Amino acid sequence: MSVMPTDIESRLTAAASAGIHYGQTTDAKGVVTAWCRLAASEDLLAVASLLKTMGTRLSTITVFQPKAPPEPPKAKEGEIPAPVPTFFGGVIQDGKTYEIDYHFDIDGDTLTITAHVPTGGQIDSLTPLYRAADWPEREAMEMYSLVVRNHPNPQRLFLDPSIDNAAFERLIPYSTLVNSAASKSLWEKIMAQTGPKS
Amino acid sequence: MSNFTIPVGPLHVALEEPMYFRIDVHGETVNHVTINAGHVHRGIEYLVTKRNVFQNVVLTERICSLCSNSHPQAYSMAIEQIAGLTVPPRAEYLRAIADEIKRIASHLFNVGILAHLVGFDSLFMHVMEVRERMQDVKESIFGNRMDIGANTIGGVRYDIDPERIGFLQQQLDAIEPEIEEIISIYSTDNSILRRTKGIGVLSHAEALDCGVVGPVARAAGINYDVRVKAPYAAYDRLQVPVHTLSDGDVWSRAMIRLQEAHTSIDLIRQCLAALPEGPTVATEERPPIPPGEAIAKCEAPRGELIYYVRMTDSPKPERVKWRVPSFLNWDALGIMLKEAKIADIAIIVNSIDPCISCTER
Repeated sequence: MSVMPTDIESRLTAAASAGIHYGQTTDAKGVVTAWCRLAASEDLLAVASLLKTMGTRLSTITVFQPKAPPEPPKAKEGEIPAPVPTFFGGVIQDGKTYEIDYHFDIDGDTLTITAHVPTGGQIDSLTPLYRAADWPEREAMEMYSLVVRNHPNPQRLFLDPSIDNAAFERLIPYSTLVNSAASKSLWEKIMAQTGPKS
Repeated sequence: MSNFTIPVGPLHVALEEPMYFRIDVHGETVNHVTINAGHVHRGIEYLVTKRNVFQNVVLTERICSLCSNSHPQAYSMAIEQIAGLTVPPRAEYLRAIADEIKRIASHLFNVGILAHLVGFDSLFMHVMEVRERMQDVKESIFGNRMDIGANTIGGVRYDIDPERIGFLQQQLDAIEPEIEEIISIYSTDNSILRRTKGIGVLSHAEALDCGVVGPVARAAGINYDVRVKAPYAAYDRLQVPVHTLSDGDVWSRAMIRLQEAHTSIDLIRQCLAALPEGPTVATEERPPIPPGEAIAKCEAPRGELIYYVRMTDSPKPERVKWRVPSFLNWDALGIMLKEAKIADIAIIVNSIDPCISCTER
């Protein structure tokens, strides 16, 4: 039996001054999944504060960089060029923009709040509101070059401090990843140190 | 008394898997704990975006061995939502049976380890012997003792005939009185009670604040179980009692797991009694998976497991994110260990049934 408030959309609209795009589905067992896209990521704290007062639980946070759509053919002379693809709210969809999905649990139902942040942008930390945001935000900061503003404890979680952040945004050769422990490089390293047998 | 720092892990006799705890103590008492993870991080969230939708059913099963059924199940549920597939009723019951068999084995393993850490090794061996019957069940029904390969997109990859149903019922009849006896021992034995009652307490308010899930939450009085709150598989047709206790200590967490293992026997019996005839998959062909996104969650032995999947027009997912129950429960350890005695550290850590393979993905 769903407990999603029937006026949730109007409450979210009132909290997000720049606007929202809202939709929800109910599965065959009566479980509601709702999606709310924010036009401006600056509205995140206001929306999260509203959800906190409703007793929701933050389940987790997903961060990724949605691929850019294929480039349209170049406009011929006299034609109007195709518009630059953007997300709801106007952030450019260039393949580098971060999509941040905050999945909230409302007693079994799920509400996902989505914000888009361009490369080099920042997003407010939800950790002061939801303790459960601490680890997911720290993980996001080391996997991407996303800056989480006002995080109370921005320490490394999984990656060693000696490793650069944004591991998900860089190509790391396998031999580097395993410190040459499982490739031809290892043999070459040993031979360089010990030299061939006489 | 002096202050000093104890490093525990990443490789330590009290830990089954690598995790690093930097424990600041004052005399015999814990002051502060810092957890450092990442020692077996495998980058599986990256790998799933390099494999197609169907290959990922196999890959997600390898995230963790104790929750190995829950991962492909939640992943498949998310893909089924995107593809608009309806899982046949028989497959829904078979999914619930696989879920509960894994739950019994997982819970007994954790409670058995508790007995070992308390120093009650004969009880540890007894609990593991009872658990071994569920391992035999897995081997007989699924062909494997840990990664049982029960799920596929649109249904299940296994079926049970009357002979296997008979064997399963026989094993359930055998372990039911054994689990009741184990519950009685954990409820009354002084060796257990002395080391677990009032130890590693997480209050109801703290549990809500941390957002903990599963037996850790229910032992602190939070009445939340995905099987009831957001039913999936056949759970909307089963009577699923949710066990809660209020003390939030190590003993309460162990008792919740034992009671749930006992309840799982009944749930499997309910499934066997109502098991409908019919197909076990929605389609024999590999279904097309359109672009879309979905959320799916299920109640893994350690609590709520949530999956988010985003598909584009590629056969490989653009993003698959999952949050394992241990991920939230680790943070609560800082509260449970505060003011604890050094001798209780291993018992308290074990009480959240920590899953490092799941956490580090």
